[in-house]
Amino acid sequence: MKRVFEHPPEPQGGKKYWRSLDELAGTPDFAASLEREFPQGAAEFNGGDVSRRHFMKIMGASTALAGIGLAGCRRPEMHLVPFTRSAEWVIPGKFLFYTTSRPAARGYVPLIVSTYEGRPTKIEGNQFHPINGGHGRTDHFTQASILNLYDPDRYRCFKNASVDTDEAAFIAALDKIIVDYSANQGEGLAFLMEEDPSPTRERLRAAVMAKLPLAQWCVYEPLGGNTADAELTAFGSGIRARPLLDKADIVLSLDSDFLSPTEGTIEQTRGFTDKRRVDEPGHKMNRLYVVENRYTITGGMADHRLRIPASEVGVFAVQLAAELASQTNDATLAGVAQSLGKTKATASFPEGWIAELAKDLLANRGRALVMVGSQQPVAVHLLGAAINSALGALGNTMAGILPVSAPTAKIGALADSIKQKKVSTLFILGGNPVYDAPAELNWASLQESIPTVIRSGHLLDETSNSANWFVPRAHYLEYWGDGRSSDGTYVAVQPMILPLYGGWSDIDIFARFAGLPKPAGPELVQETFRQIAGPVPDFAAAWNRFLHDGYLAGSDSSTQRSLFFLSAATGSAIGEKASLNAVSGAGNYEVVFTPDFHTFDGRYNNNGWLQEAPDPVTRLTWDNAALISPVTARELGVQNYEAAGDTIEITLESGAKLEVPILIAPGHADRSISISLGYGRTDTGRVGTGAGYNVYPLRTTLAPYYVFTQQVKFTGGRGVQAITQQHFNMEGRAQIREGTLAQFAEDRTFAKTMGMDEELPKAGNPTIYTHPPFTGMEQWGMAVDTNTCTGCQACVIACQAENNSPIVGKEQVINGREMHWMRIDRYFASYDDTDPDPEMLVEPVLCQQCENAPCETVCPVNATVHTPDGLNSMAYNRCIGTRYCANNCPYKVRRFNFFDYTQRPIYPVKTPFGEIGGLHLGPLTTKGSPDPIKMQRNPNVTVRMRGVMEKCTFCVQRIEEARIATKVRAGASDNIKIPVDAFQTACQQACPNEAITFGDITEPEAKVSKLRASPRGFRLLEYLNTSPRILYLARLRNPNPRMPGADKLTSFQKKEKGGFAAEPSGAGDFSGGPR
Amino acid sequence: MANFFPKWTNWIPLKMVVILIVLGNAATAAVWYYFTPKYTRVGYQPVQPVPFSHRIHAGQLKMDCRYCHSFVEVSYHSNVPNTQVCMNCHSQIQKDNPKLAAIRQSWATGQPVTWMQIHKTPDYAYYNHSVHVNRGISCVSCHGRIDQMDVVYEYQPLSMSWCLDCHRHPENALRPRADVYNLAWKPEDVDAKSFVAKYGKPPGEEDRDFSSGNVKLTQQEIGLTLKHAWYVNPPENCAGCHR
Repeated sequence: MKRVFEHPPEPQGGKKYWRSLDELAGTPDFAASLEREFPQGAAEFNGGDVSRRHFMKIMGASTALAGIGLAGCRRPEMHLVPFTRSAEWVIPGKFLFYTTSRPAARGYVPLIVSTYEGRPTKIEGNQFHPINGGHGRTDHFTQASILNLYDPDRYRCFKNASVDTDEAAFIAALDKIIVDYSANQGEGLAFLMEEDPSPTRERLRAAVMAKLPLAQWCVYEPLGGNTADAELTAFGSGIRARPLLDKADIVLSLDSDFLSPTEGTIEQTRGFTDKRRVDEPGHKMNRLYVVENRYTITGGMADHRLRIPASEVGVFAVQLAAELASQTNDATLAGVAQSLGKTKATASFPEGWIAELAKDLLANRGRALVMVGSQQPVAVHLLGAAINSALGALGNTMAGILPVSAPTAKIGALADSIKQKKVSTLFILGGNPVYDAPAELNWASLQESIPTVIRSGHLLDETSNSANWFVPRAHYLEYWGDGRSSDGTYVAVQPMILPLYGGWSDIDIFARFAGLPKPAGPELVQETFRQIAGPVPDFAAAWNRFLHDGYLAGSDSSTQRSLFFLSAATGSAIGEKASLNAVSGAGNYEVVFTPDFHTFDGRYNNNGWLQEAPDPVTRLTWDNAALISPVTARELGVQNYEAAGDTIEITLESGAKLEVPILIAPGHADRSISISLGYGRTDTGRVGTGAGYNVYPLRTTLAPYYVFTQQVKFTGGRGVQAITQQHFNMEGRAQIREGTLAQFAEDRTFAKTMGMDEELPKAGNPTIYTHPPFTGMEQWGMAVDTNTCTGCQACVIACQAENNSPIVGKEQVINGREMHWMRIDRYFASYDDTDPDPEMLVEPVLCQQCENAPCETVCPVNATVHTPDGLNSMAYNRCIGTRYCANNCPYKVRRFNFFDYTQRPIYPVKTPFGEIGGLHLGPLTTKGSPDPIKMQRNPNVTVRMRGVMEKCTFCVQRIEEARIATKVRAGASDNIKIPVDAFQTACQQACPNEAITFGDITEPEAKVSKLRASPRGFRLLEYLNTSPRILYLARLRNPNPRMPGADKLTSFQKKEKGGFAAEPSGAGDFSGGPR
Repeated sequence: MANFFPKWTNWIPLKMVVILIVLGNAATAAVWYYFTPKYTRVGYQPVQPVPFSHRIHAGQLKMDCRYCHSFVEVSYHSNVPNTQVCMNCHSQIQKDNPKLAAIRQSWATGQPVTWMQIHKTPDYAYYNHSVHVNRGISCVSCHGRIDQMDVVYEYQPLSMSWCLDCHRHPENALRPRADVYNLAWKPEDVDAKSFVAKYGKPPGEEDRDFSSGNVKLTQQEIGLTLKHAWYVNPPENCAGCHR
């Protein structure tokens, strides 16, 4: 008899939580998908390009091949290869940890990297750095950057005129260039670089500038934004703003996605979420207002969100400034608002929104902060600066730091000199201008017109392929360098490994120009350190301390308030600079170019981890798409399908056209289309090839952020999309729980009585599952605070890096076979199915480590069993792949290796039968991952093969490492209890917001035990009584009660209001048994 | 119709059954014995690139194991000495011995010596040396009397059931920490009086008098006492060794 589990009914008339539009509409497809363990076809051999017959052919051939090589029966001979001479610090089998930092335009990310026998394997945040406050924080780009080091597509030689050559030839050519240009002071020489706040690079650059004063310098970042330009106007050249979100009680984001690493810094997301730890005594929760055109993770954290086209954000800022000016007597602001009030652009916003917002901001003067999206026009930034100044933010919620690099020319100016034939030699250091320079420059032909182009890059990409010289570029884990973190602290960049392919860093190239030899060690950085640290009694000790800590204490360049102000004169000048235009006229849409979650501006295009990490909002992988609102979709007559979207053609007035599939995004502004940059690369590695659509041809210097269309039409075609939002659905209700701060004050345990949980018997429901006695000295558990989780996916990538999880490719993701052990479910919430303004919530789901685990009972071979310390452990070598456990898992957290993802190519391979996906070819294709990829693998985690089930282990390798370390320390004593909070899981360690806490739940002093005592705690599907070891803490919002729409945010309802109390089937009579 | 088959053929089915049973049993027994590490692994004795003799170094010269295997107490991996360690002595002693040519060549060229690995657990089994030697398990329990071997061979099967035998009954192998690297150690050598003074009496023998000089302790008594005193609690769950 089939047992049909009757889940408690959804309450009628209350707030609905949904993950996709299909789910909201209750389509039959969605209902069917709930019944399935994996999406349709995941468990079938529907390879797309391989039919069943085809498979038989291939398998026949492979069986024949297998017979030839019976040598496999012999025991392989293994070797032990010790060093010849002892290497300092190296203990075979032990990790070594070094501090370093990752270069990033908005501030270096301080890191601690673990190396194993000389190769870096895992990147963690440096918990000692002042911006991290004792917890190593990272973002998903940082976590994945180690894969760029081991990218097998990195080009391994120098190249001159399409012929491979060696370093000596390059040095000879470089020296000749240096001699030639020294004669004419560098006239005709130009450098195009990436933004890089490195004092050593800047120092050497100054040395080169002194030697070659006529050389041209240009820094180009496609997503650099306008912040720096605006700050130059507002505050002068000597200072940059550093928002202090930990000081701000009221934050207004004007289209700023400051919680995401694509636009913000780790310091900002940490500062923001620190104000959301509501369980701490005496805590005051902050309030976030977000004005944006598309849902970003910042919008998801908003207490009030206004959905308007990106081009109207400026109009909003003008009206807000006017409102603030009328409520205060701030002369600067009044001047600004008046001069801008004359602009023609108009837009109307919901009644009372701006007035109430202004009141709230003014009531919190000195504790309010306005963040402006970096891509917004300079005028909006200047307005933001004026508002911040009027609100007393400068010096309070916004500090000033010293800029590292001197301003350089814009790429447009460089293009002009190239057109005038004033550039005879161009160095392109990093970047990829052929792909990402503004479209009207037509950089590809510009570059061809230069006699000599020398390109330092990682791959043979668009720019490298048309350069005369290709120079392998050193990855940041390969060279000595330095930088400034987002707070201005001086940090070290240490190499973890010698350059794999003899790469050069910018520092190496500039050193050569400055007449210095290519540095063999840290000598150039030491010179900079000497200048920054000032006179120290013992240089060697100070330098070692610097490398040990990873930063120079007290070098944070935050300046005094007196240095940082907005003069009235500057304020009145703002009006002159403003040019604001909004969407106008029927048939006109704005196209917004957004930073991409996966590839940023295209630079991480060949990184498989990033490609496969689902976008936190759309859950799209391996792709970009045109995000539009449901209303706009109806206007255009387009829709989404299970793994595809209709294709639209966008035509601009300039004549530029783009065909791109749409993705209907709830909460998107109408008449606005957001498309992320960084896809559609033509020359890239095997991972990025063929992924997505290139939006750069639409983007010009004058319209770098949004542009208005001439025509948008449905082409009739469809584009395939791999979206994970409906994968691994849990059935049941109240899986995510939220309330408002006011409700929390009234009923602190509200989360415990949502859904069915109020009806539960005191002792919990009975269970048919059992577990062995929990005799372990420690009992592992976790707490996940959904109030501080932004959904940024840093944990997902950290888990992948730590646990050797493979990537599976777009086609396999469509089949629902992604291998991430963690997923971050994204929910939308609305009372009304047609509400265009749903709220967004996120919830990380990993193996719940149930005490009464349903998966264990059904395994026929005992491959998944309980340990005495409460882990639901998985013995891979026992698993025979029945997948019963995944079937019986109510949380859908088990992942099955349908193919040999780690051994076989996931991209198409050429065969006599045509191009076939490498996974389907099995033994007929190459075996083993590329050597560099193997170097990244964590030696303490088994690499799983085909046919094996896997899932989150609570990082059992770290648990066992800690246990062994404790026992080794104990030696001849009985002190074998693992110290409290002695280690962290990979997801916990990576989280920039400390949303995940792991530890021994029997130890009252452990952080996790304190969090688990929170009244906000609830467990997923509590009524099943699987007794999960993961406790979730409910999400809280802090709405302004006078704000329009604030009543929508009240989510949890008292029993008399909710629908479920009227339902006759209470939870009490549910026994989990057959019905 | 005449009897087509002679009478003896009546026995064929029975004989076939008997033979099949015998063959089946023999096959089972053969797999049972020959397909296990006890047969396939024990005694594996590859030829090493350098004819290094543990009997001379550890046995005759009584060098401590940790002189060469220097990180056994801190790492999962008990390292093989690098060329520099060999040359510490052999730059003075036996410096022209032709058997050491490979070592001298390695030292001169910087190319490491490629030793053959003998003891190997599968990739999915994460054995850790440091926790065993620090908690009173001697080298000899797994590797045998290395100090008597000229050429090292595998002494124990290192199979999962063999591991578990000891994890379930660690008292059969525990010894005082000072004697972990003393491969010739015997339980009878232990001075019962000082042992009991240090670790307490063996569990269940609280009433026995150990103060007289001629009491001999058994391995069981020593092991149980230490297990109790150190709270030795080897993992028997999957996650203990498989990650």
